[in-house]
Amino acid sequence: MERAPAQPHPDYPLLRPIENPGRTFYYIVGVLLAILAYTGYVYVRQILFGLGVTGMAQPVTWGFYIINFVFFIGISHAGTLISAILRLSKAEWRRPITRMAEVITAIVLAIGGLHPIIDLGRPDRMLHLFYNGRLQSPLLWDVTSITAYFTASTIYLYIPMIPDIAILRDRGVKPRWLYEFLSWGWQGTERQHKVLDRAMNILMVVVIPIAVSVHTIISYIFAMTVQPGWHSTIFGPYFVVGAIFSGIAAILVLMIVFRKVFRLEGYLKHIHFNYLGILLLIMSLLWFYFTFSEYLTGYYGHEPNEMRVFWYKFTGAFAPYYWAMVTCNFLVPVILLGIRKFRTITGILFASISVIVGMWLERLIIVVPSLANPRLPYPTGIYIPSHTEWILFLGGVSVFILGYMLFARFFPVISIWEIEEGRHESAKMVNERITSYMPDPQPSSAQE
Amino acid sequence: MNQKWIYRLQIFSVSMVWVLFTGIAVWVFTLIRESLRLRDAPDASVGISIVAIPVFFTLAAVLTYVFIGLRKGRRKDVEP
Repeated sequence: MERAPAQPHPDYPLLRPIENPGRTFYYIVGVLLAILAYTGYVYVRQILFGLGVTGMAQPVTWGFYIINFVFFIGISHAGTLISAILRLSKAEWRRPITRMAEVITAIVLAIGGLHPIIDLGRPDRMLHLFYNGRLQSPLLWDVTSITAYFTASTIYLYIPMIPDIAILRDRGVKPRWLYEFLSWGWQGTERQHKVLDRAMNILMVVVIPIAVSVHTIISYIFAMTVQPGWHSTIFGPYFVVGAIFSGIAAILVLMIVFRKVFRLEGYLKHIHFNYLGILLLIMSLLWFYFTFSEYLTGYYGHEPNEMRVFWYKFTGAFAPYYWAMVTCNFLVPVILLGIRKFRTITGILFASISVIVGMWLERLIIVVPSLANPRLPYPTGIYIPSHTEWILFLGGVSVFILGYMLFARFFPVISIWEIEEGRHESAKMVNERITSYMPDPQPSSAQE
Repeated sequence: MNQKWIYRLQIFSVSMVWVLFTGIAVWVFTLIRESLRLRDAPDASVGISIVAIPVFFTLAAVLTYVFIGLRKGRRKDVEP
């Protein structure tokens, strides 16, 4: 592999993974490709033998694939959404975080979006959606909104990357043609900066409602049926809160991993983890509030079918998962993030992993119990995921890691130009902003 | 790669974005027309679908604006 000459750069630690990726990168990529090859084999087997190789059967006809679909799309949420909110609110501490968050969205959204196709025993039937799609179906709204969000997120990730791609182009990093093509003639002139700023401002505003709409529409897949446990008016905001919650946890885990692996301690400081940790704590409390409201209203309604699902979760077969979810999503983060002594980087890492596990359990608890206890007089269904479903789940996670590693191999995971801009202009801008909203000094009594 | 080829590739990619998004808009319009003809969809479904079309065109317009703006904003002395 050819290496570009290591020219001095004030932010060389951010360029090091691109210019000198090291052997470990290739070993890990090799392992991930091996996992993906096996995943491909398992999936081909599913196509050949049908969905009989999964644990899905009547009445539980949605399993791991739909759970993972909702889970991955949820993880994707925080990226672009958090980045857009932080940019819009001019939070200066956002600078080393935004790109990492945006990359999560682009990669995970692609993985999540593939899951409903995996869930089809005959994936070729996906084409029916284009020929004979029914607008009445929230599944069709999903296709449209996920496509819109994926496109918006990719553009939102790409446009702020242009100045950094130009840095790589100017340093002669290979493949040079790729950087030349993607940098679109960036020279850093005043006019180019204006164009970039204007485009980013438009995208920030466009991306936020799209992000919110995506997870709301995903909740409609459930809420617009009259299945017990699904037919709820708060499912939209509940899903959005859960998605942002799990997404922030994913960002934190990635930030901690990248900080360690790429030695980015100078960029990702304790204050970044502290701020995001507090945000995670707030989301944990908000999640608990929504969960409490959701189940309390169901319990007071006391509709027999609803109560079957309720008790199935609280004391029945799914009770271990339900209480594990409450522990992972509420107790662990509140203890680790609420008590200042525990809010260290290690504590935040544990809390974030706990939230990711808890949110996956939440998706499991939403999907399976309602299908296992239908309104029709069926006996309670049983769902045990098969080897095929576990491997495809592992494959999804591997694609995410591989996608992120490949991105970090070709592009800086922290925005170099935004860091430089922050160094030169932030203090002045923040000072001006504070002066603009502070009350004017009162004239002293002597002057009066 | 030759600068001219890179420029052509950039033009091609922006054109493909427009082709793709126009395709999506045509697809959504076709579905709306069919559902109205068959009296199949409640009004809300049609409304939700219509909202998607300007979103895609806004995204394409932003990309095109960046592409043209960055080319026009280059320093004159290094123009090919």
